[in-house]
Amino acid sequence: MKSRETILEVKGLETSFFTHLGEVQAVRNVSFDINKGEVVGLVGESGSGKSITCMSIMKLLQHPGKIKKGEVLFKGKDLVTKTAKEMRSIQGDEISMIFQDPMTALNPVYTIGNQMIEVIRAHRKVSKKEAYNIALKMLTAVGIPDPAKRMNNYPNEFSGGMRQRAIIAMALSCEPELLIADEPTTALDVTIQAQILDLLKELRTKLSTSIIFITHDLGVIAELCDRVIVMYGGMIMEEASVNDLFASPKNPYTIGLLKSVPNPDILIKQKLIPIPGSPPDMLNPPKGCAFCKRCEFAMDVCLEEVPELYTVANRHKSRCHIYHPDAPKSVRKQVI
Amino acid sequence: MWEPVNKDLLGSAQETKKSLTYWQDVWRRLRQNIMAMIGLIMIATVIFLAIFGPMLSGFSYSEQNTALANIAPNIQITNISGEDYVLVHNDYKLIEATKDGELIGALEILEDNKTEKYILYLINGKEVKFDYSLAQKNKVKGSNSMENTDMKTKYDIYVDGQLIDKYDVKNVWNKTYILGTDNLGRDVWTRVLYGARISLTVGLIASVVNLFIGVLYGGISGYEGGRVDNIMMRIVDIINSVPLLLIVILLMVVISPGLQTIILTIGLVYWVGMARLVRGQVLSLKEQEFVLAARALGVSKAKIIVRHLIPNAIGPIVVSMMMSIPSAIFTEAFLSFIGLGVSAPEASWGTLANDALGGIRSYPYQLIVPSVAIAFTMFGFNFLGDGLRDALDPRLRK
Amino acid sequence: MASLLEIQALKKYFTKSNGFIKKVEQHVKAVDNVSFSIEHGETLGLVGESGCGKSTTGRTIIKLYQPTSGRIIFDGVDITNFSEKEMLPYRKKMQMIFQDPYASLNSRMTIADIIGEAIDVHKVTTSKSERDDMIADLLTRVGLMKDHASRYPHEFSGGQRQRIGIARALAVNPEFIICDEPISALDVSIQAQVVNMLEEIQRNTGMGYLFIAHDLSMVKHISKRIGVMYLGQLVEIGDRDKVYSNPAHPYTKALLSAIPIPDPLSEKAKNRIILQGDVPSPINPPSGCHFRTRCKYSTKECAKCDPVLKTIENNHQVACHLFKQ
Repeated sequence: MKSRETILEVKGLETSFFTHLGEVQAVRNVSFDINKGEVVGLVGESGSGKSITCMSIMKLLQHPGKIKKGEVLFKGKDLVTKTAKEMRSIQGDEISMIFQDPMTALNPVYTIGNQMIEVIRAHRKVSKKEAYNIALKMLTAVGIPDPAKRMNNYPNEFSGGMRQRAIIAMALSCEPELLIADEPTTALDVTIQAQILDLLKELRTKLSTSIIFITHDLGVIAELCDRVIVMYGGMIMEEASVNDLFASPKNPYTIGLLKSVPNPDILIKQKLIPIPGSPPDMLNPPKGCAFCKRCEFAMDVCLEEVPELYTVANRHKSRCHIYHPDAPKSVRKQVI
Repeated sequence: MWEPVNKDLLGSAQETKKSLTYWQDVWRRLRQNIMAMIGLIMIATVIFLAIFGPMLSGFSYSEQNTALANIAPNIQITNISGEDYVLVHNDYKLIEATKDGELIGALEILEDNKTEKYILYLINGKEVKFDYSLAQKNKVKGSNSMENTDMKTKYDIYVDGQLIDKYDVKNVWNKTYILGTDNLGRDVWTRVLYGARISLTVGLIASVVNLFIGVLYGGISGYEGGRVDNIMMRIVDIINSVPLLLIVILLMVVISPGLQTIILTIGLVYWVGMARLVRGQVLSLKEQEFVLAARALGVSKAKIIVRHLIPNAIGPIVVSMMMSIPSAIFTEAFLSFIGLGVSAPEASWGTLANDALGGIRSYPYQLIVPSVAIAFTMFGFNFLGDGLRDALDPRLRK
Repeated sequence: MASLLEIQALKKYFTKSNGFIKKVEQHVKAVDNVSFSIEHGETLGLVGESGCGKSTTGRTIIKLYQPTSGRIIFDGVDITNFSEKEMLPYRKKMQMIFQDPYASLNSRMTIADIIGEAIDVHKVTTSKSERDDMIADLLTRVGLMKDHASRYPHEFSGGQRQRIGIARALAVNPEFIICDEPISALDVSIQAQVVNMLEEIQRNTGMGYLFIAHDLSMVKHISKRIGVMYLGQLVEIGDRDKVYSNPAHPYTKALLSAIPIPDPLSEKAKNRIILQGDVPSPINPPSGCHFRTRCKYSTKECAKCDPVLKTIENNHQVACHLFKQ
């Protein structure tokens, strides 16, 4: 295990969108740490707040989104209080982000090489020649064949998988300490996804970059991550190492999620047990636990009070009332 | 507290969120746009005045009173004696007025002596002599223009033989003709309001034609695609490539000039832009899955166009319609201005402006009034059109 | 008893013409010589990556596209060259569920109108009250409430919209439904709801499904047989268990090994085959076997002649030169 040096610490983050219909509480009291060199998976359904959490960290929120409360400590400095100008020197340099759609993330009127050199020169005081060499090195590292020739290509001459490689190369060109990957493989085909995941696994052993990997695909989490944070309704529901989470999930939501996806390796026909209902409307979130209306173990208290994030095992946290000291043990047995 | 919840009390898990319908949402965003709301108020004002204005103004658009021609909205009245005021008109006529600026009428002329250059009037039993012989004496040497010199240097007024102070004048607003009269003594205000009727009619017809021909033509062209689309669009290109003016002049030969010709011309030409826009929308919409679903159900072509494609393109259609109204009004004004529009005594803003051109130096208000009316309406429709574009833009819709 | 649906050598080429003066016509071979059949009450899963022609196959079967050549035989009747009017009775027997729950419902129509359109077109009923009852019944069948009928699509979540799409397809009581990636746009916890519902409908009505998807684990869950497509061609088809436990075609092997498994232990133990490069353009596919450019077993023979489907075991066919008859 690498040293336990924390590079990112999110404390009590709350982000809301102030729309004409009212306040949409996208992120509610989210706290977590990222250690150096660690790959943390942020998993959740659409609207769970996983992307907004990372947008808040990067301070890329669009109007009417606002960080209401909380601190984002990156190497001990609070990013929330930083000005847009100060953030620009951090974005793309110390923290990079990769987006979901490789088709729109590159500017179609500049060549790949141009765009990479521009990013490198924005953060490093290097000559064009040096920047070109860095870009070439990065494109080679992400496995783009014939990189010198590819540098002069425009994005439309790249296929989806190639573009995502180029975007990863661009994101890593300034050797960031933290890479936020927002569903980087969702728009890709399975075989191309396998290539990109393979590349990311290879890169993480080479570089000491920490990665926050946002996805809704539990399979991708299992393959790539060290630690998993499960989000639902803007809150962290469960946090555990990847092995613990899949072997012994401790939260009714995670359990339900795992039961609702088929395992392609098992040959007998499994019964899928779906979670009933739909995710909560964050305009009027439930008063109690966000999951209470869909939870088969819901108790009266779940409707009234938001449960705490209890530490239930070594480095394993779960937000559920069954871990409340007063909760009857019988209910807990039912769940796990 | 730790009892399991009775599931039935939770309500159905399949709840939906209530939200605004499309038009409610559009209206909400439009309301937030101040410029659009100003535009809306401006248009409402114009429409209200066009409908009710001519009824309330007290004059008819064709009622002439040559004695009271070319009177400005702001007049200078001279005190004769006591409560008696007169307005000295540019063509050396005296018009009786009240203190507040109400015009009573032309005065009774006792004697019009052309050789001595004076006119005798009778006001309330007093003999008023209007001597304009000064005009010749004070004429600046070498200058032919009468208009540029001050009126007051051209005459003297004697009441019962006594010279009165011609500089003792009072600036008042014309109470009888609030925007003055034109060269035939017709009320400009009434005529502008009447012009608004014509302009709005033209605008309305243009938009209706746009809607029916343009939307259907574009819808069919876009949905059919291929060869049909190709032929239909070439027809559009041909129509679009013939200058509007040429079409009007050609039509003039066949039909007499007038409102019908203008409406016919605008009807023939204006749907072209709409047809192109709708075709583009339909081309992108017809590959959408809801259209495929309708086709898979066996819904007929006509129904797919009318029920599925056009309602989904309604945003751009409304914006385009809104923008075509001012352009049609403008076209009508332009055609009338160059003399291809409505014929006298009917008034449109274009003909009003044209009529005023002759007296532009002496009576600029006659040109300003219809010009302001055109500009006001243009602004109104453009503000609202811009606001609607923003409000209907699906990209901004959440 | 005849098969519910039989596809024989189906081809769908899209023509792209380039150039203004000298017209250059290019054919995108979206579906190239595909044959399969579906029995009553059976689900055939069709998998492949984007651009492999699986959706085009579905749309061509339901005649949203006119096939370039080949035959579509539904219930023993050749419907390949049927006109729109002749197709109408078959549109009642064959329906389709679409991928995008947001784009597949007309946002200007109420739910009742969306579902009711199917009833109106096929004149299932002419009485207003009967129509309302049918709509209410369909809504309850897909797990919605009958008072949802007067709402608009934007008031529903993705999963609920997909249910409405299913209700629309069910409105005409079809014998066969083409499911074109019906779950790929849905959240994980919702996917299972929809899949379970489709299975239940099949149990109750004995309907046949063509289930098109790129999510191999869900396809495996719902299908009885599975067809794998690559660049417009069917490379392998067979019983689900045979294809999954004993994949024959190198592409199928790579595809199956690429699925991430939600279990870190088996995930890490897994021997993943990672394909090199990208899918070639369907305008100019490689000669012979289309997969040969990415296949590690490719030989000279692969470039020369097209592989045909060969039966390698009972109910399992593969199109690859590695397998000799």
